[in-house]
Amino acid sequence: MATPTNQPTVRQVLFVDDEPDFLGVVQDIFGSLSAGHWVLHCASSADAALEMLKHQKMDLAVVDANMPLLDGIQFLALLGRRYPELKKVSLTAFATEDRRTDCLAAGAELFIEKPHSMEGYKSVHAMLDDLMNWAPQQGFQGMLRRVGLQDVIQMECLGRNSSVVEIYNEHVLGRIYIEDGSIIHAAGGDLTGERALQRLLALPGGSFELAPFESPPEKTISGPWEFLLMEAARVRDETASQNVSVAPEVDPQTLVTPVAATVAVAETLICSGLGKVLYEADCVDVPGRVQWLKQLARHAAQLAQIAPLGQFDRLELQLDYGRAIAQARPDRLVYVAVAKPPARP
Amino acid sequence: MSKSAQQWLANRASPSGMLACGLRRADGVVICHSREDICPLEKMERILRQFESVRAALVSDQLVPRWWTWTFEQGQIRFVARSDGWLLGLVVRLDSEAMTQLDPLSNEFLSLELGN
Repeated sequence: MATPTNQPTVRQVLFVDDEPDFLGVVQDIFGSLSAGHWVLHCASSADAALEMLKHQKMDLAVVDANMPLLDGIQFLALLGRRYPELKKVSLTAFATEDRRTDCLAAGAELFIEKPHSMEGYKSVHAMLDDLMNWAPQQGFQGMLRRVGLQDVIQMECLGRNSSVVEIYNEHVLGRIYIEDGSIIHAAGGDLTGERALQRLLALPGGSFELAPFESPPEKTISGPWEFLLMEAARVRDETASQNVSVAPEVDPQTLVTPVAATVAVAETLICSGLGKVLYEADCVDVPGRVQWLKQLARHAAQLAQIAPLGQFDRLELQLDYGRAIAQARPDRLVYVAVAKPPARP
Repeated sequence: MSKSAQQWLANRASPSGMLACGLRRADGVVICHSREDICPLEKMERILRQFESVRAALVSDQLVPRWWTWTFEQGQIRFVARSDGWLLGLVVRLDSEAMTQLDPLSNEFLSLELGN
């Protein structure tokens, strides 16, 4: 009988790129970074890659988006049809929004710019490793990068499913029980019922998992889920307008973030990596701000290539009326401006 | 480059954790100091020039920052722009003494009497 071990799984990774120099670098650097846990296969054309796939099951294909003849985007689509289970990533030296859109539409899970530094290679290695290690567990584990908590609850209710949404961050563990498409119970900290639901949905950050349904200790919520979610959104907006937006702590008993009397959120914008607006509040010029965030993403990438400081995390702006924080990540663009309070008489 | 600006940069922008710093005049003249090999002079110059080339795109009527702080995994870059065209760039390690000095240095730079 086989004995389970803690040895990491060896992954088969296929790189497809028409630049032999780059493939050589890939072999050297990723071979070293993966410490033997990746078996690297390199193909300099789509044909060669398809031939390799006939003989070896791969865990991941990393495809250059700019190959001649059958270009990377077409090749990604082809791989998706022939090997639907294969995870695919597009790597490019020329990242543009259009290309990103095309690659993601063709089935790439990630769209990554070719690294130019050792730090860059380390980041790409970590991203790819993370992608290969990610697998749905029993139930469904929340993928915050693409789907929000409210979206998942909405989907569960619309599908008349039964499940338990477990929400957690460093301070809080909460549960929302959904039975046959109805929210029947919520608990978190010392709270239960609608108040717990509202507070859980207003948490400023954390993770969630969708677990198989189990009966709750009690049923504390009734009523249409649409109304419950709308009411929770209203409470969340009210909370957001009163609180500091940057990493506020949450009282583990009451699930309330401390009210900061000294600042007020002046503007909030959250977009997908492609600039689709996901949430907006008090943003005077939404298209302008989206464009600004896209430009920021480009400039941050350029600055990261020059500065020896690793991956870009955020840009903070000191403004006359307060300050703003912007994040530009492949999957999310965020802008939050906080105003200073008016001077007290 | 004015002597006072050079002196200020040499004397003040040197707390522990400062990797490099630089000043750029409105006419494009640049002076840089490297404190650690990881960020040599030419890199600091490129950082200043890169930011200068994109600054206009990141400023609008509603968004005129007094300073910009770019945070990376291992450090921060602070840019401070004056209305007379002077630009200060500071590259510091995260969680260093230099990081705690960014705001005082920025305010000092904004109020400095600088010649041409």
